[in-house]
Amino acid sequence: MTFDLNALEADYPLVLQGLLVTLRIVFYAILFGAVGSVVLCLGKLSGRGPGYRVAVFVIDFFRTIPEVVLIFWVYSCLPLLFGLRMSAEVSGIVALSLFVAANVAEILRAGILSTEKGQLEAAFSLGLPAPTIWRRVVLPPAVRRMMPNFVNFLTELLKASSLLSTIGVAEIVYQATVLGNETFAYLEFLTAVAVLFFMLIFPLSLYVRRAETRHFKRTSR
Amino acid sequence: MGLFGELIEASGGRWIRGGLTAGLVGLIALALVNLNWRIVGGLDFAVLWQYRGALAEGLVMTLVLTAAAAACGMFFGTILAVLTQVPLAAARWFAIGYVELFRNTPILVQVLWIHFALPLVSGINTSAIVSGVIAIVLQASAYFGEIVRGGIRAVPAGYGEASDALGIPVYTRWRRVILPPAFRVMIPPFVNMTISFFKASAILTVLQVGELMTVSTRIANAIFKPIEILTLAALIYFLFGYAISQSTHWLERSLARREGR
Repeated sequence: MTFDLNALEADYPLVLQGLLVTLRIVFYAILFGAVGSVVLCLGKLSGRGPGYRVAVFVIDFFRTIPEVVLIFWVYSCLPLLFGLRMSAEVSGIVALSLFVAANVAEILRAGILSTEKGQLEAAFSLGLPAPTIWRRVVLPPAVRRMMPNFVNFLTELLKASSLLSTIGVAEIVYQATVLGNETFAYLEFLTAVAVLFFMLIFPLSLYVRRAETRHFKRTSR
Repeated sequence: MGLFGELIEASGGRWIRGGLTAGLVGLIALALVNLNWRIVGGLDFAVLWQYRGALAEGLVMTLVLTAAAAACGMFFGTILAVLTQVPLAAARWFAIGYVELFRNTPILVQVLWIHFALPLVSGINTSAIVSGVIAIVLQASAYFGEIVRGGIRAVPAGYGEASDALGIPVYTRWRRVILPPAFRVMIPPFVNMTISFFKASAILTVLQVGELMTVSTRIANAIFKPIEILTLAALIYFLFGYAISQSTHWLERSLARREGR
């Protein structure tokens, strides 16, 4: 068996088209998921009441069930329950948005709660108004601390988006398996997809590692 | 959470809670209005009782895959982590390359590659379950290896220097000096990673290996009751995943007891 690059030559535009679909889905999932995550995070920070309890459950639930189950559920149950017509891609975006919302909410919360107690005490004793405390004391360092976690989650999301091929979304893995079925050049297409994913994700992982090492050094002087 | 509670209250906690409750009520009302009541009325969860045997088998398969991933991942991961620390460049580069390759590609692509592409290279056809186990163990080794590496890095350098000074042989140095404290700090990430692989086992449904998700989709297609069966599957996954996440405390306590403190 040889690795035959000619197999890729004719069909690589389809693979790249799949890559574009992957990126588009990830973009929308982040967009809608971000809105959901802020609401969920507010709910969990609010400390009590029905909003708090629902937020805690929703975050735990969508972080614990496998992404495949979530994707299948949204694809085959949601349209039935509400009498909707959704394309596979829309179902995929809905499922991944829920995945993003639950996970990012937890990242936001962890970042916010990691504010140093002394800084909060100082802000309170200076009598700063609450909006100023959020804008000037809590959020700037929190956002900086969250960045590696965000990027790390982005790599998870990119990897999870490949699962949408199971419901027939024409993203990159789906294109590769279809082309593999047609031409029997599984080796070439699947390797090409693996390489593309690696090129996409590896720089992000490198950034995460750098940022974490920097943080590690700074905290353990 | 005293100070933060105060900050939340000072930023209008009452209004936030009120708004969230109102939004929740609105969302529920919207859902109720748009629900397809004919479908909801026709839901029959009792029918699933017939399939309890198959579902239980699927669940057992899922748990076996999870345990295999955690155990083999921990074993090979420890070897990989030690390899990244040895003074032999080739070994270090092998370990680093392996970990990066498996951490930076989706497990689905790895599964498909191992099942469809690897036989073309190796000439050996693997059955779905063998491919699935190979894929999940290979990936688990990379991820668990990173956890072990983090644990080793958390052990103060003085431990290694002290064992050098005492002339402790290399094997004993790892086995008795560096790894025990490293394993202790690894418990929380270990449990999280086990949950990740509990979730990842569902991905093997693309090869139909017979774990819970495979069984569920088969039943759903056979009796055309996707809502009942997939909701049940999601709940089972949630309950077991939640149980695994709660095992952190138990593990920490039992490890502390074994070390006599």
